[in-house]
Amino acid sequence: MTILEFVEGPGFYVSGTIFALAALWRLAGIIRLGKKKDIAPARGSAFTGFLKGNLRHFFPRGLFAQRTWMHLLGGYGFHLGLFALLLFAAPHIAFAEKLWGIELWPAMPRWAFIITAEVAFAGLIVLWVRRFSDPVMRLISDWDDHIGSWLTFLVMLTGCLALQESHDALRALHMGFVDIWLIYFPFSRLMHSFTFFLSRGATGASYGRKGMTP
Amino acid sequence: MQRFQNLFRATALMAAALLLTGLTWVTWADPTHAQSSVRPPGEALPLGATDGSPSNALGDRSDADVWRQIRGADGEGGALPSTSPGRKVPVYEDILRELQGPVARDNSSSATNTRLIQMLGDNWRQVRLDYILPYAGWVLAGVLGILVLFRLLRGKIKIREGRSGKYIPRFSMAHRIAHWYLASSFIIMGITGLIILLGRPLLAPYIGKEATAIMASASLQGHNLFGPVFILALLIVTFRFMKGNFFQWADFKWIIKGGGLLGGHASSNHYNFGEKTWYWIVVIVGLVMSATGLLLEFPWLTEQLIWHQMSTILHAAGAILLIAIAMGHAYIGSIGMEGSIDSMLRGEVDENWAKEHHDLWYEEVTGKKIDHKTGATLDAKAEAAE
Repeated sequence: MTILEFVEGPGFYVSGTIFALAALWRLAGIIRLGKKKDIAPARGSAFTGFLKGNLRHFFPRGLFAQRTWMHLLGGYGFHLGLFALLLFAAPHIAFAEKLWGIELWPAMPRWAFIITAEVAFAGLIVLWVRRFSDPVMRLISDWDDHIGSWLTFLVMLTGCLALQESHDALRALHMGFVDIWLIYFPFSRLMHSFTFFLSRGATGASYGRKGMTP
Repeated sequence: MQRFQNLFRATALMAAALLLTGLTWVTWADPTHAQSSVRPPGEALPLGATDGSPSNALGDRSDADVWRQIRGADGEGGALPSTSPGRKVPVYEDILRELQGPVARDNSSSATNTRLIQMLGDNWRQVRLDYILPYAGWVLAGVLGILVLFRLLRGKIKIREGRSGKYIPRFSMAHRIAHWYLASSFIIMGITGLIILLGRPLLAPYIGKEATAIMASASLQGHNLFGPVFILALLIVTFRFMKGNFFQWADFKWIIKGGGLLGGHASSNHYNFGEKTWYWIVVIVGLVMSATGLLLEFPWLTEQLIWHQMSTILHAAGAILLIAIAMGHAYIGSIGMEGSIDSMLRGEVDENWAKEHHDLWYEEVTGKKIDHKTGATLDAKAEAAE
């Protein structure tokens, strides 16, 4: 078995399973924590607050937007770019179709891939630079944040380095980092991909029940 | 129709090959040549070319002319004269006619429809092999050596009065993000570019051709991908850092004093002469790198071969220049000088560092006066005297 066959075969299955089970376990753990019962009479809908809390935080308030426009651009650029690459890159779709044996959606053209990758990389670099340049961000960041950023960067970078699809070694390198990333993901702050809606929703629900706009 | 054209081209190529084979055979079968290669007559005059061209290919006719015409007449890739006066040499024209065929060739940059050997390409290859590749490695190794020597002789440059513990803001968050954004993309571009440029002569002997090919393929993809990111970062830095980077009178005095390296105190504003020069080199050379890089990534932008060749040479030379200076910049901005990294990490610098290295700027932002010979605060001296 070659390294490529391993990282795309058993390695990928094991890391994917760890990713799925551990992420579910953490989500279930957070939900099971529950919430202390609020004995005050409700002045609004907690559920509406949950939804509002999630949706409204996609758009920053005016003053914050002015002060953090670079962070805002970087954040949206990176996350949207990453999802677009993950879901619409031709090699990813081909890999998933081969893995599951079903036909998926059409891939984005190569020029769109390049532009999306540019945006995603630009955003990730801005976010990482802000993490160690901003005094507050530097204070609240630890190794977990940096490892998560670097692993994501390396996954993206090795993917792009293998874009020519002419060497198995480059593909194996990319898939190797994907496997590591999948294993690290559920035990790190990368889990914010799944938990952000819970935290935003909890705050929103609390505000909504009190009749306040989250 | 296409099949006939292909057939004709194949026939033409075969004819050309036969002609060249015949030419070679004539050269070696020529008794004059055979005799001269065994034992030259004692009083014989040197015949044929003295510039390294094969000799006496056409007997009493000058074969050097044939080779000159094949290589592009004037040796510079210029237009080929149909014949030399008094020395009509049909060989080249015959071969060319056979190669060109009945269909007009497209005028792409690599088309050689007017000559057999593209001398422009040969000259470019020579420049690349003889100058760019060897000097690139030596320049970078030399700069690294100078930095090591500087470190050994001078050591880490300390803040003369030590850290005061008081900090004054120097760079905003936007400045720092712009700087590190450019720095990170520059590092990626630099590493991948050096692998592309020097991988074959420097890496292949040690890690093998296959591994070098893999690294080169990966580097090319990475280089092309991060190129636009670098351009974007360069434009942001250009505008964000422009204020304060125009040369002033204090910079002249700074040069006279060797930036303080020759002893004494060299006053400077927000940026000293070295930093300003570095800024303009980054801007100007960076823009040249961007333009030439775009031309290399999108070669269809021009059909002129000379632009592509100039682009590769300018791109490589500019890259070596930027990387060489960036090494010095990175050293003095981090481990080489106490307190300098704070400006780009924290956005603020120690007051004593500011007084020592950017006293005019310190006076401007704090309103305090400084003794420009020593860098000490005059108010503090007055207080001490009282």
